[in-house]
Amino acid sequence: MSAFRHSLLGRLLADPMALFAMVIIAALVIMALLADVIAPHDPGAMNLADRFAPPSATYWMGTDNLGRDTFSRLLQGGRIALYVALTAVTISGLIGLVLGMLAGFGPRWLDNALLFFFDALRAYPTIILALALAALMPRGLSTVIIVVVITSFAEYGRVVRTQTLSLKNSEFILAERAMGASFGRIVFHHILPNVLGPFFILAAMNLPVVITIEAGMSFLGIGVPPGTPSWGATLKDGFDYIRNTPWILLSGGLPLILATLGFTFLGEALRDQLDPRLRKTR
Amino acid sequence: MTQDTSRRLFPNTTRRQLLAGAAVLGTATMFPLVAWADGSRLNVRAYLEPDDYDPLDASGFLEELLYGCIYRKLIQYVPGDQWDWQPDLAESIEQTSPTTIAFTLKEGQMWSDGFGEITAEDVKFSLERHMVEENNSRIKPDLGPFSHVEVTGTHSGIIHLDEPFAPLWTIALPYLAGTIICKEAVEAAGGKITTAIPPAVSGPYRVVEHRLGERWVLERNPDYSGAAADFDRVDLVVIVDDSAAEIAKEAGDVDFAQIGPGSVARLQDSPPPGTRLSVHPSLFYHWVGLNVQNPKFADERVRMAIMHAIDVPSIVQAAFFDVAEPATGIIAPGLIGHRPETIIPPQADPARARALLDEAGIDRLEVNLDVLNTVIHTTAAQVMQATMAQAGIDLNISVHESGSFWSLGVSADGDRWQDLELTIKRFSMTPDPYYATAWFVTEQIGDWNWEQFSNEEFDRLHDEALSETDPERRDEMYRRMQDLMEESGGYRFITHGVTANLFADNIAPATRPDGLPLVQFFRRA
Repeated sequence: MSAFRHSLLGRLLADPMALFAMVIIAALVIMALLADVIAPHDPGAMNLADRFAPPSATYWMGTDNLGRDTFSRLLQGGRIALYVALTAVTISGLIGLVLGMLAGFGPRWLDNALLFFFDALRAYPTIILALALAALMPRGLSTVIIVVVITSFAEYGRVVRTQTLSLKNSEFILAERAMGASFGRIVFHHILPNVLGPFFILAAMNLPVVITIEAGMSFLGIGVPPGTPSWGATLKDGFDYIRNTPWILLSGGLPLILATLGFTFLGEALRDQLDPRLRKTR
Repeated sequence: MTQDTSRRLFPNTTRRQLLAGAAVLGTATMFPLVAWADGSRLNVRAYLEPDDYDPLDASGFLEELLYGCIYRKLIQYVPGDQWDWQPDLAESIEQTSPTTIAFTLKEGQMWSDGFGEITAEDVKFSLERHMVEENNSRIKPDLGPFSHVEVTGTHSGIIHLDEPFAPLWTIALPYLAGTIICKEAVEAAGGKITTAIPPAVSGPYRVVEHRLGERWVLERNPDYSGAAADFDRVDLVVIVDDSAAEIAKEAGDVDFAQIGPGSVARLQDSPPPGTRLSVHPSLFYHWVGLNVQNPKFADERVRMAIMHAIDVPSIVQAAFFDVAEPATGIIAPGLIGHRPETIIPPQADPARARALLDEAGIDRLEVNLDVLNTVIHTTAAQVMQATMAQAGIDLNISVHESGSFWSLGVSADGDRWQDLELTIKRFSMTPDPYYATAWFVTEQIGDWNWEQFSNEEFDRLHDEALSETDPERRDEMYRRMQDLMEESGGYRFITHGVTANLFADNIAPATRPDGLPLVQFFRRA
């Protein structure tokens, strides 16, 4: 019991902010996974006679311009948002991890080249890049994921590089080298575990950003195709028909707010727990 | 009791004086507002951005919005509820034979920027340049069998046609192709009017600034020879989205805006203060086009299955909020050639569609639909997606911004035009059926005819109807042409829609009978 209390999960559960975040995230994940079971209506079923209906016992969050149940569409949209967020963050994180460690551990010229590459990518506005890529690629989730990966892996790379650089010349690494440890052993047994803490904090903080990018691209009409239930598409419908009903916009914004709060709080709680300097000050 | 006056901003000012000063200041700041509100400036919504100032590049009403303000024509449409024309540059103009039109220009009508008087040479240059093959005029069909202009004097000339042309007075002369430009100025610029230099103009306004993607700024043309315009400045403000246009109107950013059909019922019941709404039957036509040359649709049964799977009333209800009626073709009610009904009923028949697919040996059909990123067309696409699924047709929707969309079917812009499957489009229209059918002849494949519909009888009827003067015979010909379009399985007609204009009550807008604005005739109320 004591061991669990001192584990990362135990410490997180003891933190009210982390607990709140995990409850929100768990609720979103469960609702997304069980969307087909929970949804009271077919998210694609039109019912023009009931369009723009306010929240009611039949339609918990009202209906959109085609009479589709907003709640059911948001549940399905959650599935898309989490799929895009987890996939994009995983891919961009892995790319950033590898490139960051190469930059930090490799020769100087490689470090400079990768650093220039990271900075160049980070300097490019996400939405402008998304618009450019969307014009060249077929519209869909793959494009959204590619846009997110391209615009975000440099951030991971930079963080990992900094961590690697600070570890590279530390005494225990120098000692390992002196004892003849292989490159692989140093990287995988010593550098990587020490880099993962900040990496996961950044990933948690990035998840809501990715969800917002997906929603933003769908809002701008360059995300998922029309008809696909996504949070951004619901917001777009809400904007288009704000004069007819405010409910679509209000309902569409709610899961985005919850997801942003949940993942941001979790990221901050992780930082509190994993950053030794912050732990000392607690 | 003493006061520490050293820390006060105005040590000798009493509270009463301060309040009075504030009142005076407040009143003073009202003056610019009053000057603005007196109507010296007019902001009109443009739903897209015109390409440039050159009629050679014109594609539809959007350019007419700009050209109407800065250029003149021999004749212009009369604002109001009835289609009619009135002389503009022409002092007199009459049809002297079925193929000749004699005109005399008003004297003393001037070009801006010192380019002198408008002459018959300008008329000749303006009309004939559309017929030069290398100029690639996109509105060449507007002039039909136009041959040339014979200049008989400084202010007079004769327009010659190769054969009689019924739409001459409804399309050719009062619309885009009839725009008169300055020969001397255009030749000095190398034969093409670009956006680099504001053009020599003759209309009530001149261009002072073009903010790309935002607005065209026009101001009163001091060289205009007609009655002075009512407004010192006119801004054509580019607002693509209908909802944004409505918000812009209510916020006072524009004085006149076309709005979407979704707002009509609400605004008719309770228009915002200081605002009026007018609703007009539109001549535009929206339709679902199918590329009949695409190998996927080689089997006529497949084309017909798709047509039967599209439910037009649902699209009209969802995207046009029931303020419009389902269309029976590309020619609106009231015009020659309007069909009373379609061959395929507007209601979808999923069972019939399914049966046709079964006959063609297709279990599940996947079709791609390209649409413009407007609320109306993306909504229509989603309705189609839902209803077509009932017949076993999976519809993939691709949404494009304007520039990308309007190049999809153009052969000069790449190879995509050959692979097109379904599209939803809207074309602008004038009060003559010729303007509707002109874009679907074989010659237009790779330009405007994205369905790649090619039918000898259609092409022949189109040519014959140009010079047909018997209205009944002409009516019959255009009906038959629409039958042929529908029988090809390439066209599912949706609606003509409505034109709803929201405008400030301190202006008196001038519109065509179909509600489209003639900004050059706008006045202060």
